[in-house]
Parts: sequence; structure tokens; C-alpha cells
Amino acid sequence: MRVPLRVFRARPGQSAHRDLFVVEVPEAAYVLDAVELAWAHLDRSLMFRHACHHGSCGSCAVRIQGREKLPCITLVKDVWHGKGELRIDPLSNFPLVGDLVVDVGGLFDRLSASEMAITHAVGPGMAPAGERPEGMEQLTRFQTCIECGICVSACPTMATNPHFFGPAALAAVHSARIDDGDPERGRRLLHVVDTEHGIWRCHGAWECSEVCPQGNEPAWRIMDLRRAALGSMARGG
Amino acid sequence: MQTRLVTVEAPPLKPPIRGEIRPRPGRTWVWQAATGTALTGLLGLHLIANHFVVSGGLRGFSDVVAYLRNPLILTLEVLFVVTVVIHAMLGVRAVLLDLGLSQRLETLVNRGLTLLGMATVAYALWLTWIVIR
Amino acid sequence: MAHSAYSPRRQVWKWFNPLGRGLGMWAYVLNRVTGLALVLYLYLHLAVLSLLSHGPSSWDGFISLARSRAFLALDVILIAAVLIHGLNGKRVTLLGLGIGMRVQKQLFLALMAIALLGVVVTATKIYGWW
Repeated sequence: MRVPLRVFRARPGQSAHRDLFVVEVPEAAYVLDAVELAWAHLDRSLMFRHACHHGSCGSCAVRIQGREKLPCITLVKDVWHGKGELRIDPLSNFPLVGDLVVDVGGLFDRLSASEMAITHAVGPGMAPAGERPEGMEQLTRFQTCIECGICVSACPTMATNPHFFGPAALAAVHSARIDDGDPERGRRLLHVVDTEHGIWRCHGAWECSEVCPQGNEPAWRIMDLRRAALGSMARGG
Repeated sequence: MQTRLVTVEAPPLKPPIRGEIRPRPGRTWVWQAATGTALTGLLGLHLIANHFVVSGGLRGFSDVVAYLRNPLILTLEVLFVVTVVIHAMLGVRAVLLDLGLSQRLETLVNRGLTLLGMATVAYALWLTWIVIR
Repeated sequence: MAHSAYSPRRQVWKWFNPLGRGLGMWAYVLNRVTGLALVLYLYLHLAVLSLLSHGPSSWDGFISLARSRAFLALDVILIAAVLIHGLNGKRVTLLGLGIGMRVQKQLFLALMAIALLGVVVTATKIYGWW
């Protein structure tokens, strides 16, 4: 099928515009396939990120038809139905580097401050005993969050407040606290986010959980942190 | 353009001290939620007492004076105006703080809204006094 | 959504866009808009009440205006804002305490249905049809 891609273009010092790329893709193509074809055959100056191509690195995150998604796992036919154009824009709420590439440095700074480990142990309830290979007491898996920044792009507070810790990093603090189980570290991490521009700037729009491609549910994690903070406050902590 | 994410300084790695005096934004949220919950009752009573128990739904001047001179009603209305002004000021504060202002501006917002709130309540109390006198 | 690349001005209205977003975002925008509207109304109301300090003729003059159909329509809008903000506020309080997170969308819909009912009932009462 012939798909008209309407792609956001911008460079430092130049005004933004949107280019139209018409590409021929198979029925089962993903949006990233279409973008790559546009780059390969039509305009080699198009800037975009891509790596794993299977939804686990978070590099390619963009807005497709105005909604945040990972284009490597989004089928073209799920977002474009033959009429009109397929709009592709960079993520919101990040400084723009060029075209579809944004500067995610601020996100990674916050994730570092959250002390989230990249893997965590799988608890007994998470893999039935029958599935576990013999002799293997502990399973480890990667964290749910793939640090794609999609939640940050969708967050209305992030849209106007550059100081906000943000849904990804707050969710990371939550993960770090529950995975570790060390009360001292838990208290310290709560201390980091129990601030005016930490958990208290969230107003429960729930859009982060809505758009997260991995089901990490940042919104409930933030509210859970608030519960913990209120509890600590009540106990005089 | 999208706002720039500011690099976050990792805070000093010391645990919180019990009883330490530091700003507790959670407390502000509790005040917001508590006044909001109280307003369900207070605003409901205010609307019912003002508009639903009087025929035609509106009180003429002498009706208003008689209404406010009732000590129970006076208490309700004073409680109501204080609660609603606190909730309103905290709400405006939330909207303004969401803009990610500088430390200086934030302090200005906090002080300004506190003053505005106090002035509003003072005005309402003065007006009430004028009417029932 | 228009992007102005490299504009140094913060776009303060960026939060005000629930189109294509989930119900939670609609709830957030509605709560914020009704909240700000109600703050404006608070001061409008206090300004109107200042007529009481000028005596019966000023106040009763206002009352006759307040009985007009156009004015009553504004009252219905006010009640709608109060109900939307108040009921959604309950939801925000619950969610902030960690209650009801799994059903936050359904909670929003149920509360807005109640708000709608409240507006209809109030409107009928205000216009004297009841």
C-alpha cells in the first residue's frame, strides 16, 4: 500500500515545516518501516532514532497521529486507514535536536537520581514453580520501564513545568523502593521525590499510564508514593 | 518550543531527620483535599439555605439581614467563606506552580496568594458585619 | 499540534489539550477549567454582594435582574461547574490517597453522570418547572 507520511522537519535556526513522503510498504509494515523507507529512498537528511526494532529499547518513540507510540511495534494499518495522511511528530516536552530526534538528557539525569536498577528479581508469585527450571531459585528480569520518554511527552505538567521530576523518573523511584526492600534506602528515595516539583506536581491526569507501551503504570506508582509520603508525614517522619 | 528539562541535582545522600522542619508539600495537598471535602457539605448547605428554602429562590434585602443575624447561619457562612477562600487560593497556587517558576517567583506566589486570601476573607467578614449591624 | 521549534517562550497553555487523550486527561482539564472559572465567580459574587452595603434599593434592584431568564441560565452553568469540579474533586482526593486507581475512568464517568443529573434537576427547579 502507498502511505503518505506527513513528517515534522526542523533544524536549529530554521523554522519548522512538515514534509510529505509517499512510500510503498507491505500490508504488515510497521510505522518505523515506513519512516526508514522514506529516509532510504526519498530524503537521507531525515533524522530519527531506531535501534532494537522490537519495543524493548525505547529509542524510536515519536507521536503518530498526535499520539505517543513506539513506531517499531505500531502497524501502519492500525493508525492509517487509507484516507488522509499519517502524521509523525517528535515527542513533546523535550528540547528538539532535529526532525524526529529530541534531547532526552533531562530524562536520564532524573532516572539516575532515582537509583532504579535495570533488572530486578522475579518474586515467587510471578513465575509459577512448574515453569522454573530445576535448581533455579531466583529469576531476574529487566525493569518494565524502557526509558522511552513517551510518558513525559504525554504529561500535562511536564508540558509547562521544566522542574517537574516527571512520570518516568517518579515511577523509577517507586520501582527502586519496592524492589530493594531496604527501608533506609526507601526513606532516602522518598525524601528525593517528596518535594514540591516531585510527586506533588502530579494532578492525576493518568495520561502517562494510558500511553506507556510497556504497562509500567507510572500514575499508580506516583499515587502510591504519595500515600507513602503522607504516611511518613503522619508518623512524624 | 517544548520546555527544556532542567538537569536535576541529586540531593545530598542523607536520610531525613525525625522532626526536621522542612517544607512538606504533602501537607498543602492535604489542606486542599480537606477543604474540598468540607466544601461538599458547606457549599451544599450554603446553596440550600440561600436558595432552596426560600420561595422564589432569592432573598430580598430584609430577608438577607434576618438570615445573617441567625447565629447558626452566621457561623456556617463564616466557616464557608474561610474554607472556600483557602481552597481557591491553594487551587490557583497549584496552577501557577505548574508553570515551573523560579524560586523567587514561587515565593512571591505563596506570599501574594496568602495576602489575597486574607484580604478576601477580611472583606467578606467586613461586609457581613455591615449587613447585620 | 503545532510545534514551534526553538521558541524560547514557554507555552503556558500546553496543558489545555485533552483532544485524543484518555478520560483522565479530560477530567484534569475539566477540573482545572471549572476551578479557575469558580475562582473568578467567587470574586464576581463578592462584588455583587457589595450591593448589600448600599441598602435595600440597590440590592432589590439586583434581585429583579437575577430573576431574568438569561441570568438563571448563568446560574445553571454555575451549578454545572460546581458539580463537575466538586464530584471530580472527590475522585482526585480518592486517587491521591491510593483508592480506586484501577477504576479511575469508570469513576469519572459515573461522577459526571451524577453531575449531569444534578444539573438537570437544578435547572428544572430554577426554571420553576418542578
